[in-house]
Amino acid sequence: MTTETQMSHRIGALEMARFVVDGFLEYGDLVPDDLNAQVHRDALAYPKNRGYNPNKPREFWNFSDAVREVFDLPAVRGVVESLVGPDAIHDHSFLHTVAPGKREAQRWHVDSSLALDHPRQFDILVCYFPHDAPAEMGPTLVLPGSHVRRVSYHDVTRYKNFLGQRQLSGPGGRIAFIHESLWHCAQPNQTDQWRFMFKIRYLPRVEQRGLFSADDLDEAEIEAFYNDSNRKYPWAGDQFVAMGQAWRSWWRYLSEAA
Amino acid sequence: MAVPARTVLQPEMSGTRQQILILHLAEPDLGAQTVAWALFDGSRPAGDQQMQAGDQPDPPYESVVDAMHAGWRVVQLPQLPTYPQGAEHETGPLPWEYVLERCVRLEAANDD
Repeated sequence: MTTETQMSHRIGALEMARFVVDGFLEYGDLVPDDLNAQVHRDALAYPKNRGYNPNKPREFWNFSDAVREVFDLPAVRGVVESLVGPDAIHDHSFLHTVAPGKREAQRWHVDSSLALDHPRQFDILVCYFPHDAPAEMGPTLVLPGSHVRRVSYHDVTRYKNFLGQRQLSGPGGRIAFIHESLWHCAQPNQTDQWRFMFKIRYLPRVEQRGLFSADDLDEAEIEAFYNDSNRKYPWAGDQFVAMGQAWRSWWRYLSEAA
Repeated sequence: MAVPARTVLQPEMSGTRQQILILHLAEPDLGAQTVAWALFDGSRPAGDQQMQAGDQPDPPYESVVDAMHAGWRVVQLPQLPTYPQGAEHETGPLPWEYVLERCVRLEAANDD
């Protein structure tokens, strides 16, 4: 159920446009420090390298009161509802780990096949890093902008490096809200500490348009933002034009209902 | 009986190994900028770590032509696109993918 509190935390038009271009939104100020510290303690106390069991799709969620508290914060729920709407389905969640000293990177991949109405129809992956995760600790590597490309699951494993790849490194408490089609992979951990990332996949129950706050909607500003983003991704090469078409088509769908 | 003149030497007999370099360019022109790259190195011992996702911020060559100058041979050029009606603005995998190879002697390859 959407409440007034969540409504006040809906993302604005420019943030929505940023999601359209980048394929994710990242926030570092949604979760209080003491809650981040408690989730980290819970992660350290949890059995390591347990592996995902599809028959138990919410093990860490059920284990940690603190992590449930994080995802019940109005600021967090507000972003989730802006992207996938009210009462989104918690499909599954999992505490992802990278062991100390792990040398291998995960291969590039996508966590989905193609939605019938890609990229407008999408699940979100909410990735929460409770502790500081500098680059050498192996936080997730993403390819910003890749979510509008039509690829499926492991089609992209042959790729290794791109101009414009970006690691989600930084201080503890960051949450990235990611389009299901964004290319990504875990990175090696060169430290002697465990790296944790808790991820929930949310599925929409509604058509994903008109969900963000349009109070500040300024179409001229949005168009300028898309124009300024045209050459943002060198990896896209001369296909920046086609990607710009995809952004604008999606934006018209999003905003006409706003 | 004499050895047939056309006997093919197996790679392990020749002492060389193949390296495959995949360069993705910004445009079809072989001199266009490299925007993504991957190396699969047959000269590394089995089980040794190959290029990893995200392990290099800069490409090894600025373009395919640049790699050719360094001795790489181009073995695949991407086909130029056609655009089915209604799918003119679709994008998928990176389109301008060039596959290059070179053979290296094991002793030379292990120097680095």
